[in-house]
Amino acid sequence: MTIVTLDPTTPAPGDTAAFSMAPRPVSLEGQTLGIVANGLGRSELMFDALAEQLVKWDDLAGSVKVVKPSVAVPPWPDQWQQITDGATVAVTGFGGCGSCSTRSMRDALDLEAAGIPAVCIVHEALVPAVQALCRLLGAADYPFVTIGYPLNPTAMWDEDEAAAVAALVVDGVRERLTR
Amino acid sequence: MSLTSSTVENEGWVEAVDTYIDNGWTDGLPVIPPTVEAVEAMLAAGGMDGTEVLGEIPTRDLVVNAEKVAINSVMAGCLPEYFPVVVAAVRAHLQPLANAHSTTATLAGAAHAVVVNGPIRSEIGVECGQACLGPGFRANATIGRAHRLVVRNVFRTVPGVLDRASFSWPLRYSFCFGENEEHSEWTPLHVLEGYAPGDDVVTLMSVMRYLVATEFEPEPEAILETIADRARIDGLLVDDFVGDARGVMVVLGPEHQRRLVDGGWTKETMREALWERMDAPTAGKHDNRVHLASPENVLIVCAGGPGLAQSNLLIPHLAAPTHERVVRP
Repeated sequence: MTIVTLDPTTPAPGDTAAFSMAPRPVSLEGQTLGIVANGLGRSELMFDALAEQLVKWDDLAGSVKVVKPSVAVPPWPDQWQQITDGATVAVTGFGGCGSCSTRSMRDALDLEAAGIPAVCIVHEALVPAVQALCRLLGAADYPFVTIGYPLNPTAMWDEDEAAAVAALVVDGVRERLTR
Repeated sequence: MSLTSSTVENEGWVEAVDTYIDNGWTDGLPVIPPTVEAVEAMLAAGGMDGTEVLGEIPTRDLVVNAEKVAINSVMAGCLPEYFPVVVAAVRAHLQPLANAHSTTATLAGAAHAVVVNGPIRSEIGVECGQACLGPGFRANATIGRAHRLVVRNVFRTVPGVLDRASFSWPLRYSFCFGENEEHSEWTPLHVLEGYAPGDDVVTLMSVMRYLVATEFEPEPEAILETIADRARIDGLLVDDFVGDARGVMVVLGPEHQRRLVDGGWTKETMREALWERMDAPTAGKHDNRVHLASPENVLIVCAGGPGLAQSNLLIPHLAAPTHERVVRP
């Protein structure tokens, strides 16, 4: 006997949504880097070191950083305003835990929608999660930057490790924020 | 009533169950195949149209409607009369302070307790007494399971994909119980939260840690001290998003309750005492401050059966306890 039943899943919004990336500048010279930090572990140290390196090597004009009120939520409205008013390119992360990695990816996609080129920095352990979120939102091919082991995902780094992580990701960040 | 979900055809129930498992639509256990008739009966019991929106998860751009919740409730084995409770639990989870994205995707694998207050408990058989946190009670088992299937299929939180729990845990199969309001004259949880005694209310509590506090000493002060000290082993950090709304839940067992009632304690005086001890400054590696804004952030629920002098603590993930009135048709 044929039995007819119903699909229990919610359709992915990305099946119908259109996603496009913000136009990239030729270089980071003179750009202002927005940092949307989720506060995971000591990842702020990495972002600070990354900004320092980009100022030094790429003539970045400066940076503006916000630390969100919790690891896996959007920035407060005033923080969002601060970033969208002050930044011309942006980084988000650190994507080292389950909900924070995906929320940081969402932050990057929101920045793209606001016309600000962005990139999310993610630990390799969380790649399936951020890819799933990108697929869900119709941005399956959206590029990001990864770091891997032996660095721990939850960003319990000391200052030297944080600087080393910044050095590891700086080329990828530059590549994804420029054309 | 017109339903909009895609349909699936199988030859018989066994094949249908296998298809749902193979498609990754279950918790690994067999489900009741959700036929159109069963889903319509579920919606009718809630007095709802399938298109009714229960809430959203903004990070995922997901809108949760009644039809999908009804489908998953059928799959979980709910009777139609349970459906208003499932709906309230899902609505509670979609309140902003329940932080649905965070509490379902986390590495920590938070579970959620669905706590039921009000007359509906006895009407539909939500167990509040002996062994109420475990298996054996259809309403508890299937309401909690329906909520988890919604998390999986409607919130799209699949283990190893968006659900990043490193271990996960058995509380994620199902975790629903009621408060034993009749065991004493104490004020039920929902009344302390501002609802009327006759209201049916669901409280949704994220659970990062489940801690057992056993204290055989008869003095009420010793019992409260043990409960508070158990919470302080790991403590609770501040989270700016949840802010002053963050709370812990004490599931107070009847042996402890009896001692406390005899000692003249009420929930109101107990939470004052618990808060004062829990919120004290950190004093060591295993004696950490439980950051709570006020005594009202210690939620006390009476449940369980006689025998063991035990209570339980539910320590939250990055979310506040949220409450929703059960709306009957």
